[in-house]
Amino acid sequence: MNRFALPLLAFALLVVVFGVSLKRAPEKQFVKSALIGKLAPEFSLPDLLTEGATVKSATFKGHWYLLNVWGTWCVECRAEHQTLLDIQQGGKVAVVGLNYKDDDTAARQWLTELGNPYTAVAVDREGRAAIDYGVYGAPESFLVNPQGVIVHKVVGVITPDSWRSTMLPLIDGVSK
Amino acid sequence: MRFIAALAVMALYSAGAHAIDPAPPLADPLQQQRYLELIHELRCLKCQGETVADTQAMFAADIRRQVREMVQAGKSNTEVQEYMVDRYGEVILLKPRWSLANAWLWLAPGVFLLGGAGIAWRILRQRRALLAGDTSEVGEEPGRS
Repeated sequence: MNRFALPLLAFALLVVVFGVSLKRAPEKQFVKSALIGKLAPEFSLPDLLTEGATVKSATFKGHWYLLNVWGTWCVECRAEHQTLLDIQQGGKVAVVGLNYKDDDTAARQWLTELGNPYTAVAVDREGRAAIDYGVYGAPESFLVNPQGVIVHKVVGVITPDSWRSTMLPLIDGVSK
Repeated sequence: MRFIAALAVMALYSAGAHAIDPAPPLADPLQQQRYLELIHELRCLKCQGETVADTQAMFAADIRRQVREMVQAGKSNTEVQEYMVDRYGEVILLKPRWSLANAWLWLAPGVFLLGGAGIAWRILRQRRALLAGDTSEVGEEPGRS
């Protein structure tokens, strides 16, 4: 056997291993959501926009909805806002907000200024509902089907492109 | 002198380490012990590469609070870890669990070690065989006369 064969083989093996790891690089999908395919966790939280009211997850069952985790402290959320407005406008899904560790007044102000894409906004000031959803930052979004099952999760900003190419087909594929 | 200086530096750093977790220790020292163990084995997903015990990130603080409350409520270590894995997936555990999918993680170091040892053994044997078959005198070019 050629004396280079073994080192070469080892090298080739490493190239394959590193290649695969690069393909699955952290920024791509470090945390595959443990919740995809499972029932969306229930919550019952104060309503940001109606004093004294509560927002219950059960209310949204029976329809597609997009649960969007946001906060006024989150810069990317501002970038995502227009897309959310467009999605709401499109009428395919209800957009439900989960205001994550935020200040109520600042959050209301934000919606007045930038427009309100949300059917309802639940206030999760302590981030407890967020833990139930496996959230570790904002924005994060969960696409939930009429049976209440999480079909897709987006960590980071939803772009018009990702909405059209990955989420819309999921919705249309099932409702057809 | 240098030893004392080193100690002083370490003391300074340890003060910083405590400041990360502002919560007072749990009343039960055993529970506090378990709390510390648990938070040192959970990954801060917001700041990859650090444990939940080592950072002030909002996410880490929330997870610490959750762990603290569960320990206080009498949950076992396994229950706390299950709870986290159910929500965040197995990445949140710094020490991967033993499972079929993870088996290669645990076995690979052993396989590499054995492979390396095998190669080393072969090289040594070849060298010994070469030396044994070499009849040339010292100072002579080996393998030629």
